Amino acid sequence: MTRKAIEVKELNFSYPDGRKALVDINLDVYEGEALGVIGPNGAGKSTFLLHLNGILRGNSKIKILGIEMENKSLPQIRSRAGLLFQDSENQLFMPTVFEDVAFGPLNMDLSKDEVEVVVKEALKEVDMLDYIYHHPHHLSFGEKRRIALATVLAMKPKILLLDEPTSNVDPKHRRDLINFLKELDNLTKVIATHDLELVFEVCSRVALLDQGRLITSGNPLEILKDKTLLAAHSLEVPRWLSS
Amino acid sequence: MKHTFIDQYSHKESLLHKIDPRIKVISFLVFILFVISTPKDSFLKFGLYGVLIIGLILFSKISPWSIFKRSLVVIPFTLMIFLFIPFFKEGVVMGTFFLGPLRLEVTYEGLQILGNSLAKAYLSVLCMILLISSTKFSHLLKAVERLGLPKVMLLILSFMYRYIFVIYEEFLKMWQVKEARSVGGSRLFQIKALANMVGTLFIRTYERAENVYLAMCARGFDGNIRTIDNFQLRRGDVFFLLIMILSLMSVRLV
Repeated sequence: MTRKAIEVKELNFSYPDGRKALVDINLDVYEGEALGVIGPNGAGKSTFLLHLNGILRGNSKIKILGIEMENKSLPQIRSRAGLLFQDSENQLFMPTVFEDVAFGPLNMDLSKDEVEVVVKEALKEVDMLDYIYHHPHHLSFGEKRRIALATVLAMKPKILLLDEPTSNVDPKHRRDLINFLKELDNLTKVIATHDLELVFEVCSRVALLDQGRLITSGNPLEILKDKTLLAAHSLEVPRWLSS
Repeated sequence: MKHTFIDQYSHKESLLHKIDPRIKVISFLVFILFVISTPKDSFLKFGLYGVLIIGLILFSKISPWSIFKRSLVVIPFTLMIFLFIPFFKEGVVMGTFFLGPLRLEVTYEGLQILGNSLAKAYLSVLCMILLISSTKFSHLLKAVERLGLPKVMLLILSFMYRYIFVIYEEFLKMWQVKEARSVGGSRLFQIKALANMVGTLFIRTYERAENVYLAMCARGFDGNIRTIDNFQLRRGDVFFLLIMILSLMSVRLV
């Protein structure tokens, strides 16, 4: 029996203006599983991901790798669940790529030599080692996204939380990213995306969110083929699946 | 997108670029201290300081023309002094002007103050421009951190350097969108549009700041900033500092 990596019970969250963002979400993700979170714009996919890293705190009981989400356990949780934000510009905030990737490991109190090793490893994994001393501003969107991924990988997380990892990335690097995610099969992954091909290839399970509610979760093939279900939630069966 | 970078020449390779940033910050500060503490009538000394800084500029392989262009920022400030000081100072009158009913007197002392502040301001600005142009901004930040600048100020500077171009680009994009749809319209309307853009930019910047903070938290930020640097003092660095101080002292004693 595999352990639960993420345990979400009765998650409710409202924005400061009172709008309900997440309503009664109950969801477990097991270790090594890759969960694709799909749904129309504004369904609450990003908001849901932000809860799994303790950035947002709705009134709920969330456990990450058996650790209860509390103020004092946040550092532990954040070093175990790495979050890739949708906007890489905000995720890269230090003057150079090196310092940015080093930010997380330094917060985990690694020594100077260890930090240098993990930073180089992480940049190598996303094929960006040549850019180590560059200023993030000079990079293209796709390059920023890859470095943002390196900043997460450098913390050696057990769980990867990815928010729209393939949006605005060119086809080649999108393909590289998909293959890379497939190789990381020892990590638990939660991927919020509109890229159904990515879901189909990488994920072992799919959760469909709409208007903050969990509509259903299950086998990717079954859900992605369900024409009426997808159409009811502003989604579409991909062509390569329907033919 | 086009923009000028603060440290656009910092990637050149010259001996000056290779000197430890901490040493550079110290020597250039010492230079400025020497310059501003020079008595106001020693124009020979100002000339010699000038020779020293021009020597360093040539030594740095940065095009003197670009440094000259940047150094012009000093003009508006000295212009203010030019407007006021020579005309309102007591002393030996050198000439009198009439501006309508106004009677203005130019005194020798007034001109001296103008020349003195112009020389001091210009030499200091040249020195700062050279420091910034020959040092990567990230190294400069590390250097002032090691020299004791509080980390909060350091972080503010570092965020400024990281995001000022992002915000500027956001503004450029908004401007382009506006231009793309601007077909005529009164001048007042254009100004109103500009005001709205500034407001939007402010809100976006504010939101971005919040998101950056969230991204920092997501990677374990707990209020303490941890950084590493690899500065190592070499013999050449100490040598440079000594040469600088010796040449400044000898100018002082001329």
